[in-house]
Amino acid sequence: MAALASTAPASAEPKAAGEAFVTNQPGDSLSIVDLASGVAAPEIRIGGKPAGIAVAPDGRFAYLTSPESKELVVVDAEKRAVASRFKVGEGPLGVAVHPAGDRVYVADWYEHKLFVVDPVAGKVAGSVEVGQSPSGVAVTADGARILTADRDSNQVSIIDARTLVRTGIVPVGKRPFGVTIDAEGRRAYTANVAGDDVSVIDLAAGKVVGTVKVGHRPYAVALTGGRAFVTDQYGGTVTVFDVATLEVVKTIEVGEYPEGIEADPAGGAVYVACWEANTLERIDTATLEVVSRIPVGNGPRAFGRFLRPHG
Amino acid sequence: MVRLFASFLALACLMPLAASAHGPTRQKVVETVEINAPADKVWEVVGNFQDMSWHPAFVKTEGTGGNDVGATRTLTLENGGQIFEKLTKYNAEGKMLAYEITEVDVKVVPVTNYSASITVTPEGDKSKVEWKSAFYRGYVNNDPPPELSDEAAVNAITGVFQSGLAALKKKLEGG
Repeated sequence: MAALASTAPASAEPKAAGEAFVTNQPGDSLSIVDLASGVAAPEIRIGGKPAGIAVAPDGRFAYLTSPESKELVVVDAEKRAVASRFKVGEGPLGVAVHPAGDRVYVADWYEHKLFVVDPVAGKVAGSVEVGQSPSGVAVTADGARILTADRDSNQVSIIDARTLVRTGIVPVGKRPFGVTIDAEGRRAYTANVAGDDVSVIDLAAGKVVGTVKVGHRPYAVALTGGRAFVTDQYGGTVTVFDVATLEVVKTIEVGEYPEGIEADPAGGAVYVACWEANTLERIDTATLEVVSRIPVGNGPRAFGRFLRPHG
Repeated sequence: MVRLFASFLALACLMPLAASAHGPTRQKVVETVEINAPADKVWEVVGNFQDMSWHPAFVKTEGTGGNDVGATRTLTLENGGQIFEKLTKYNAEGKMLAYEITEVDVKVVPVTNYSASITVTPEGDKSKVEWKSAFYRGYVNNDPPPELSDEAAVNAITGVFQSGLAALKKKLEGG
């Protein structure tokens, strides 16, 4: 994998994402949206009310958490089918894949742990204690560190990905839910559900260096072009702020109950799953307007990295 | 040992409440009704956040702040149970309002983290009213008792919405 990457021709511009894998929680399904045409394929039935999602960096597999059946569900992205499924903990929710693709991290809402899963063997390979009700999970781009947003401890845990030792705890705002790390691994951002704000963490310093007031009930954060895009669940908006000045640039009206949000690696768009509106919405990052609303299944959450590179 | 176990159970029951956590599966109830009355007339009734008398379940509405965002109201049920709510959005032009429950005993309504919106859409001389909600069940941990399950929560809200919209239709079409 590493060898492959180093011999591949260097491309200056990252390619645009090809598809979005959207978990529909009450719909109990997965919608795969072709981003060029803006059309969702017929839903794939998942089971266990899927919420979290992590598409592997190479796009071969997507890992879904189903909290009700307490499972991690592995979807073969090419075959458009469930490849395997197995039990993980008591309340799997947030999920992330290591950049190497060989480990999947699952945050357990009830057991207050982060599980390390070997997706090929289909079993839990390790775990580390974190704070109360961990929700969002993110891995630094270099694969060295894992972050969990420990919702009911109002903190972020920093874990060494190699040793699985928790090396730091950063107090943040009230009830952090989603956590997103910038491409350089310099800063992380948590959406604080009960504080209506975003905490900006300096990872080297291990502390919060800024707080940005956003809309009502922020859920998750996407980063692109020097800006952060934050879904405000109750607000029905996406708050955009400049990551250098921490000033709000715009508040964009989107479909009701926006939740999962991710930036296209090519930078032109941000995609938002709107739980109540049953849409995946595309925000143009130049105009900061919603330019398309794509119908998906019932109750899309897409909590995690849901964009898939071009196959 | 038995005593220890019992006290552990009691603690386990209290802890999630103290932390105001909730389970991972949010529930959704959406109900709509067609009303043979113009949207302006329908909005006159449902657009008044301080008067919920159109709904047969509530015997009293008391509140402050009118229809301004941040306004509050207390709804009283026939059995004396109370629901405390806050107006979070008000769009008179789009005939939409959104609110959330700020406080309610799960014995009164078996839900937590409840928010909802009502929208009136004109359809010629008629109207469509859509009442949408998002909430979690009353029991915040795994394996809830039946009265605080997802199903109990969905049934309770579905009942409130259906009876309310039926009464609204009757009131507006009857008058």
